Formats: sequence, structure tokens, C-alpha cells
Amino acid sequence: MESDYRSKAMDTKFKINDEITVDSRSSTGHCRTPAYIRGKKGIIERICGKYPNPEEIALCKKNPKIVTLYRCRFKQMDVWDNYSGKDSDTIELEIYEHWLNDA
Amino acid sequence: MSNLKMGPHDVGGEQSIPIDTNDKNMTHWEKFANALRIVVSSKKIITLDELRYHTEALGDQYFEIGYFERNCLSLHNICIQKGIYDMELFQKIKSKKISEFDVPIIDLPDVASINHIHDGKPHSHNVSDFQEDESGDGPPDYYFDTLAIAQIFIDQGLITNDDIILKIEQFDNVFPNRGKAVVAKAWHNNLFKEALIKDAKKAISDIGIELETFADIICMPQTDTVHHIVVCTLCSCYPRTLLGMPPSWYKSRSYRSRVVHEPREVLAEFGTIVPESKEIKVHDSNADMRYLILPPRPSNTEGLSEVELSKLVARDYLVGVRLPK
Repeated sequence: MESDYRSKAMDTKFKINDEITVDSRSSTGHCRTPAYIRGKKGIIERICGKYPNPEEIALCKKNPKIVTLYRCRFKQMDVWDNYSGKDSDTIELEIYEHWLNDA
Repeated sequence: MSNLKMGPHDVGGEQSIPIDTNDKNMTHWEKFANALRIVVSSKKIITLDELRYHTEALGDQYFEIGYFERNCLSLHNICIQKGIYDMELFQKIKSKKISEFDVPIIDLPDVASINHIHDGKPHSHNVSDFQEDESGDGPPDYYFDTLAIAQIFIDQGLITNDDIILKIEQFDNVFPNRGKAVVAKAWHNNLFKEALIKDAKKAISDIGIELETFADIICMPQTDTVHHIVVCTLCSCYPRTLLGMPPSWYKSRSYRSRVVHEPREVLAEFGTIVPESKEIKVHDSNADMRYLILPPRPSNTEGLSEVELSKLVARDYLVGVRLPK
């Protein structure tokens, strides 16, 4: 299951600098998409590679789906109401492809 | 947002109390529990995501008990659910482990028997001059649980006691020094610094440090214009085989809740004042990447060797909460 995790595959849905919106659906079970970032708009910072879906590994599924992981960049001003820092401040998170939509 | 919160662990963005920036370090039972968890997950007996899932599923208990207690309880719950052992076997082994700590308490000597000759003269003591070697409450119940779980894994041939001992020693003596050595090398050698920023896992492997992790490492250099800081809002993701165990504040609810939405205030609590002109970039280490922050080389260190430089590297620099003076 770790054979191709570092291959920065070309067949990805999103490319670097693409604008994305994190899906705002709710989830049950184990999931690596924090609530605070759901529904927020950002850009693709880099493509991290392909990884087994943690939502499936947590349930001990055999042969979990291999999914593309992206690092996404968000402006803090776009993430928090009343963000008290600077306009230029950013936050970056890793989001799996099935949580990302076109902006 | 609140209706999307996955559980008690999903704390990013919450309001919380000031951060206790002192590392509490770990007791022996915590080191044992941590080593067991790492051995079990590195041997793929139970995956990290299973452990996380069962920790999150503790519900209200999540923040009522400590970090290592949570880990112990979730490991136990998985073992029961997967049928690795049943409660009857667990209780039997646990009772045996408790009895191993049941050493007899020997009465203190009475006054008559402790009068003795000292420097050629009769000499006497009071009973109160003597103190028991062992005092206090004894090991916590979670330690017995952890010992019992480990013993069952050992009896089943899944792990050995040496695996656990070796892991404790690596966490104490090996892992915490790796990150410092890597940063000192980057301060000393520009080509290595460039390679580290380009592909940290490869650069670290190329100098002979095998991190044995599935995760990739991303190195972010602190610059004059950007200040980087790392957190894991969902649990405690941290490059353990590169930096050792995360400090207690890194795992705390207040750090995890606040860094993402008020990084300047959090940094100030660590004594790090970031000028208004600088961008702060927060890295939520929420999935498969792990982060190493490369601090700027301190001034007036020209001519120092790599070994000398490594003594100037503090762990807190590598998470981005402090900067070298």
C-alpha cells in the first residue's frame, strides 16, 4: 500500500495554483479534514502524492482506495470571521482530493 | 462550523486558555505506553488511523483523561473489538502484573536495635531518621493496563519486550538529536540546506538517517518575510523519528485550538514577537506530511563546526514557536 505514495502523479484532478473550495459536508467516523476549513476557498500549494484513504484505513478496510493528497493554502482572512492578524497571514493544510471542489 | 465538528478532538479555531509553554516531559509509564503504541503500529498490527479513530470515539472521556491514558484506552478497545484478547484474559494478565509490584514492606528497625558504635563511641538514631525507599501512590492503573496489553502481544509472538525497550531508548537518546544534527548541517552547508528545502526526506536519508516513516517531511525555512509555525489540530502529528516526542504543550488543547486562529498571540506567549510586517504561515499537520522548520543561523557563529552549531539548536525552533537570538 506504500508503493507509489511518493510518486507525484500527473493524473491529478487539480494542479498547482488551482482555486479550490473544501467541501462543506459533514462526516462520520475518522476523517482528516478539520471542521474549521470545510467550505473555505483556497489554492493548491503542492501535490503531495497518493496515499491510502485514512477514512478507510481507520475501519480496517482491505485495499483502501489510493487518493491524491494536496497541500492547500488559505488566506487567514478567508478562514476566520474577525481574524485579528495581518492580511498577508496564511494557513496551509493537507486535503485529500475527495474533499476538494472547483472554486 | 460547530455542526461540522467531528468530535471532541476537532478543536482548531476554538477559544481556549493561555498555553503552558513548559514541557512536562514524560514519566516511565508514559514512555512505556508510547513505545508500545509505536511498536504495534510500526509492525502494522494496528494502524495509526485505527488508533486515532478509537481515540476520537472516546467522546466525553477524550478530554477527561490524559493523552497517554487516551492512547492506552483506545488500544485496549481496539484489541477487544478485533478479538486479539477478551476481558477474561486481560484481567488475568493484569492481576499478575499488579502482583509483580506487590513487594513486602519490611518494618523499620526499632530504636534499641539501631544503637551502634560509630567512630569508637556508642551512637543512637531515632526511627524517624530512617525513610522508606518507596513512597507515594505506586504506579497508575493505566500502567498495569499497558503492561497487560504488552504482555499479551508478547505471549502471542507479535512483539518482543526488547522491541519496547529499544523504542523507549530511541525516543530518549536517538530521535531528539536527529533534527538538531540536520539543522546544524544545513546551517553549515548551503548545498545541504538547498537539498533539505527541496526534498527533506531524501536529503535526510542521503546523510544516513533513516526515518522509517511512511510520512513525507517538508522543510520550511524561516525568512525575513515569513514566520512558519506548526500544529496538529486533530491529534498530535509530529516528526517523531526526527525530533523525538512532541512536548506537552504541542499536544495541549489550548495550543491545538488557538494557533490556527490567533498565531501572533500564541507566539507572544512563547516570547516570540513577530513584527506586523511579517507574514505568519501556520501549517496544520493534519494528514500525511510532517514538518521541520529551519531556523535562521544565529549571528556571531562564523567558524563554528557542525557539532558546535548543533548545541545551539533548540527543539522549539524546529516547531516554529521560538527563534534563535
